[in-house]
Amino acid sequence: MYRNYAKQEGFNTEVGLTVRLASMNNSSQSLDAEDTVVSDESLLIAVGNHQDVNAFNQLFERFSKKIFALGMKLTRNEQLANDLIQEAMLNVWQKAPLYDLDKGSAKGWIFTLSRNRCFDMLRKQKRQPNCVSADDIWPPESGGEPTTLVHEDRGGLEVELSLIEGYFDQLSDPQRAVVEQIYLHDRTHEEASAYLQIPLGTLKSRLRLAVAKLRSLIGVED
Amino acid sequence: MNTDVNMHPSSQLLNQFIQGELATGKSIIVSAHMELCKSCCAKAKELEALAVSSWVDPSIAPQLESPSATDYSSMVASIVQSAQLSSEPVEEVVEVQMDVLDDSIKLPKVLAKAAQQGLNWKQVAGGISEAQLILDDETQCEFIYMAPGSKVPVHTHKGSETTLVLKGSFEDELGEYKASDFIVRDTQHHHQPGSKEGCLCFAVLDSPLKFTQGLARFMNPVNSYTFKKAISKAVTS
Repeated sequence: MYRNYAKQEGFNTEVGLTVRLASMNNSSQSLDAEDTVVSDESLLIAVGNHQDVNAFNQLFERFSKKIFALGMKLTRNEQLANDLIQEAMLNVWQKAPLYDLDKGSAKGWIFTLSRNRCFDMLRKQKRQPNCVSADDIWPPESGGEPTTLVHEDRGGLEVELSLIEGYFDQLSDPQRAVVEQIYLHDRTHEEASAYLQIPLGTLKSRLRLAVAKLRSLIGVED
Repeated sequence: MNTDVNMHPSSQLLNQFIQGELATGKSIIVSAHMELCKSCCAKAKELEALAVSSWVDPSIAPQLESPSATDYSSMVASIVQSAQLSSEPVEEVVEVQMDVLDDSIKLPKVLAKAAQQGLNWKQVAGGISEAQLILDDETQCEFIYMAPGSKVPVHTHKGSETTLVLKGSFEDELGEYKASDFIVRDTQHHHQPGSKEGCLCFAVLDSPLKFTQGLARFMNPVNSYTFKKAISKAVTS
């Protein structure tokens, strides 16, 4: 009984939090140390989280020829293939904050994005009816919904923190880290994603899943 | 046994779909099937992973030199000036409810989107109606409704015909097809589909049907005409 109380106290103080966060930070550092070459994912995250132009240059370096080859294969037209580099890499820049680490590799993300832009470009060039776009045919995996809902429910969640604590361990480590950042450390989505070095899109989807899981756990309790 | 009958798209077709090699009509019918079929989604995921690794594999992908005339540094410089997105652009959700066979069904999202251009139903034979969609310049795409107890005249196909069952069922000499079944037929098949309980399908034809029996033969030139019209509309619109 006493132990439980103490644990709860620690949970709510800065000290308890700092310990948890520090250990998390360590694990991510050791991950980086294993990679000598900067991964595509890290580059994409740098582009998404702080508009890192150098990182974008490196991605451009790595992928523009691949995109050109894809364009040549699908359009058999050098001009269009070149336009595709522009279209696809512009899309990479614009959508980098939406990249979700949990849904696949950076190269897979860039591939589908390039294919989709190529498809739309070809349709436009052939002047085909534009009722359907590539994103309708290859829909981004559903999950774009209630990011705003999380904010609205925030008050309710804080009240229930002590209640939730017992369920906290049932979240996966990455989900717990995100919940701690947002609800305990009171960071914004942007701050939290920068701190955890994950894309904003990943942060939002992890938060959504974590809140949904906590909800269902509490629901079971009733 | 007929190996050409697929209740699901073949791996080859799924692969072409993932690589973006199919024309719009075919892409849409595969996508609509995938919305209804978890196993094809899983298979497509695996194929996509393969496609991606061969895409980035320098030993497989031909290293095409892009023209040196293009100034990529200015391309990059202009790209990084543009604003980034903080959330997915909100797509309008299109829902198309269809009243079929004493029931109301929701079309797969991609078909609902395509059907936005408006459906103009025409009676083509006893109990059979179709509504054409213009999606590309290579195929004829249409919704087909078969009233309970109706039969399509015997026909063969010049090209292939891909059919997705959306509601009810139909049957031919080779089997019975139910909702979410994906059926590919080509020139070799002489078949006469019929539907006991009634059926709504979406179909994509590479070229017009050829009727082979009785009075319906006289419809052939007309059929060919409507196909050409569908194609030319796609090109000029």
